[in-house]
Amino acid sequence: MKLEGEFAFSGPRERVWEIIRDPDILATALPGTKKLELVGENEFEGEMQVRIGPVAGTFGGKLTVSNEVAPESLTLTVEGKGKVGFLKGSGDIILTDQGDDSTHMKYSGEVQIGGRVASVGQRLFDTVSKSMIKQGLEKLNEAL
Amino acid sequence: MTKKYIGKRIKRNEDPRLLTGQALFVDDVEIPGMLHAAFVRSDYAHARILSIDTEEALKRPGVMAIYTAEDMGEDWELGPPLVSPPPTLEDVIFNSRRQAPLAKGKVHHAGEAVAVVIAESRYIAEDAVEDIWVDYEPLPIVVDIEKGIQPDSPVVHDDMDSNLAAHIHQRKGDYEAAKDEADLVIKKRFVIDRGAAVAMENRGIVAYWEERSQQMTIWDTTQAPIPIRNGTAARLGLAENQVRVIAPFLGGGFGPKMMMFYPEEMLIPWISMQMCRPIKWIEDRRENFYATTQERGQIHDVELVLSKDGKILGLKDDFLHDTGAYDPYGLTIPLNTQSHVMGPYTTENFSSEIKVVFTNLPITTPVRGAGRPQGVFIIERMLDIAAKKLNVDLLEIRKKNFIPPDAFPYDHEIIDQAFAPLVLDSGNYKPVLEKAAELVGYKEFIKNEQPRLRAEGKHIGIGILPFIETTGVGPYEGARVQIEPNGKVNMATGIGTQGQGHFTSFAQIVAEQLGVKVNDVRIVTGDTSEFHWGTGTFASRGAVVAGNAIHAASVGVRNKVLKLASKVLEAPEEELELEDGMVRVADVPRMSISLGELAAMANPLRGAVEPGTEPGLEATDYFGPQYGATAFGCHAMIIEVDPETMMIEIKRYITVEDCGTVLNPLILEGQIHGGVSMGIGNAYYEKLHWDENGQLLNASLADYLIVTAHEMPRKIEIGHMETKSPFNELGSKGVGEAGAIPVPACFAQALENAFEDVDLEILEMPLSPNRLFELLKQKES
Repeated sequence: MKLEGEFAFSGPRERVWEIIRDPDILATALPGTKKLELVGENEFEGEMQVRIGPVAGTFGGKLTVSNEVAPESLTLTVEGKGKVGFLKGSGDIILTDQGDDSTHMKYSGEVQIGGRVASVGQRLFDTVSKSMIKQGLEKLNEAL
Repeated sequence: MTKKYIGKRIKRNEDPRLLTGQALFVDDVEIPGMLHAAFVRSDYAHARILSIDTEEALKRPGVMAIYTAEDMGEDWELGPPLVSPPPTLEDVIFNSRRQAPLAKGKVHHAGEAVAVVIAESRYIAEDAVEDIWVDYEPLPIVVDIEKGIQPDSPVVHDDMDSNLAAHIHQRKGDYEAAKDEADLVIKKRFVIDRGAAVAMENRGIVAYWEERSQQMTIWDTTQAPIPIRNGTAARLGLAENQVRVIAPFLGGGFGPKMMMFYPEEMLIPWISMQMCRPIKWIEDRRENFYATTQERGQIHDVELVLSKDGKILGLKDDFLHDTGAYDPYGLTIPLNTQSHVMGPYTTENFSSEIKVVFTNLPITTPVRGAGRPQGVFIIERMLDIAAKKLNVDLLEIRKKNFIPPDAFPYDHEIIDQAFAPLVLDSGNYKPVLEKAAELVGYKEFIKNEQPRLRAEGKHIGIGILPFIETTGVGPYEGARVQIEPNGKVNMATGIGTQGQGHFTSFAQIVAEQLGVKVNDVRIVTGDTSEFHWGTGTFASRGAVVAGNAIHAASVGVRNKVLKLASKVLEAPEEELELEDGMVRVADVPRMSISLGELAAMANPLRGAVEPGTEPGLEATDYFGPQYGATAFGCHAMIIEVDPETMMIEIKRYITVEDCGTVLNPLILEGQIHGGVSMGIGNAYYEKLHWDENGQLLNASLADYLIVTAHEMPRKIEIGHMETKSPFNELGSKGVGEAGAIPVPACFAQALENAFEDVDLEILEMPLSPNRLFELLKQKES
């Protein structure tokens, strides 16, 4: 499944970059995140409570940051599983300085889901993930 | 001789019980001390099982046991092959890979059972399933049969070097020579996807091992209670008569409940013996989408070669068939497809190569139609295309190629699903096609009505085409008929019932011979303690195979009645008649005796027994046909498509059925209504969407669209014709699947006709409103 979108941050690019690279702020911004810990260089482990329509459960997994070109772009790779299924995906994030103290974010990626999340949740997965991303980005924007 | 009961429109004996909730279904079985099972099923379509952690789950109060493959020790064995592998003919390859009670080492499809929890309630069992942590190592996945057959494809089974499950090539005449001489060669590729059977009742099983009586009783939603009994006894090391299998009322079967043994059927009785407790497992709807078998995945490359006047000179159909992760059902489906591509048409030259492919998807086994809808779709689509290219009328091209009525029994010169010659027992196709054309008003519609409606801007189309259905296959069934001293009659047969009206149609067969009221015949089906020889309810065979066994046993009882009554009434047998529960001397009505009194006399007291006396007015008999009986018919429909939503209204639906002797027209019509609704789903709504990782994306009835009243035509108009089967006494043929078989082909024809202006071509099934929209967009661009 493809995930892509855009978002406008009301802050300078360097500041946006700092925020998205701070696990504590990230943990508060990602909806349902119970835990997000740095376990290695650019590697996080975490737990997230997810509800997709009739399917709800905790996913545990790994988040890896790679291809980092500060403060412009990075690649996020996630791998998680829980009792309601599993997900695996990666996406690219590009930040563009708009020059007026605002930053444009573009993200695009691909995610694979399996288990109950896929078999019962797939119809809602697209909408739920989009709304989760939007909520998260808005939280980050507030943190600016 | 006019029939008194057979062929009569009699309301179903079983309906009052069913409609008032008094009929027993498996989930109604409650036994004191009963425990409940829930399964841990794989989220992955293909993965190695690294570890299974059951520690937390075992701590949960109310959890009584958890079993994995390892815990079964030496009792872990694969299911038996359901259909014997093909005999070693030239060219035939068959690699048997069968399902296990619980996956060991590797899972081969999403939903495969990995562990089972036994608990005091289903709620506790379900919660404990969530406590179990299985660590998997995901492996590359095979979903697409075309990619799966390539040499560089990942392989489903570790011990194989390709995914080729089976290969068979059947030939007749010389196809290549026919092609060289042909005026027209049409080449097309068809893609046919999977759908589910979606019986209203999911599967379920209750197994009860009684240690004290050393008896195993199993209530199972199976279409085949006797094979389940015999197989269970063998697996558990019991004598066959220590196991009683009851298939009570079932909320639909449609084929997948014929598959055996399902993992749950192997496991639950075994666990009941381990724990000496009754165990119940009832499948839920989501499990049903993964753990119950499915059908229809095939890709066909077809060539039809014809003369310029539309005569078929030869047909070539090479196809891939998706068997899923295992192939316990052998070659039944693809051979059925192959058996129906020549259909009702004389085809002198034929070549068809089948490759069966393993995939990381659930197993495919017959679903109502069992390969036949694909065969019908292929040949009828090809003839529609040919008719357009040659500018010949759709009906004329079919009439030109029909096997003539004097050519039966007709040997198509290939082998069928039972590896027996494909012989069509009887047929008279032209009148059936003409009757359907007349009922739908074909000529008038094409000439006047359609142009008028098109002028109003309506997208309205007509479809009409014939089909055949091989039915009533062996090996055999049996029945026991007995008159009781109260004058009522008992009949027991081995096959189970899933809603076919057996309690009525079978009673009519008995009543016909014994002259009793239909509701005075008590029918028992699917209880191995009542009758333990036979196979099951499948392949549209109940009315043919069990029906003729019941007929033979009834004739046996009738003969005993006549013999005894002749002695008692002192009249020759020829002068006796059986009517209203009495035996009478035909011309002297006061000389009579009731069947009940005769039955009492037939159970002699001490001193009255002559040597050779068999007690009772009872007989057991069997019927095993050498060839099946070939039913046929024609469907026609008029549809209107809403060009905005692509939703379809079926304005008219006509079927003309010829299934030989009709036992009960009311039941027959019900069978056809149900079949047509499945066929409509198969044509335009019901498709299982598997993603490239072998994940089912619509495993709920919110997303998988089964046909409801909205999608059905208001009325299905049914015309009957009767060409009796020459190979059985009743002259009956099966009809249980007939309603579903030609619908996708007919639907495609009607859709093409509705969009004749843009030259729409349909080469796939099932379609959907969305898919039709895409196809029309492609036409635009």
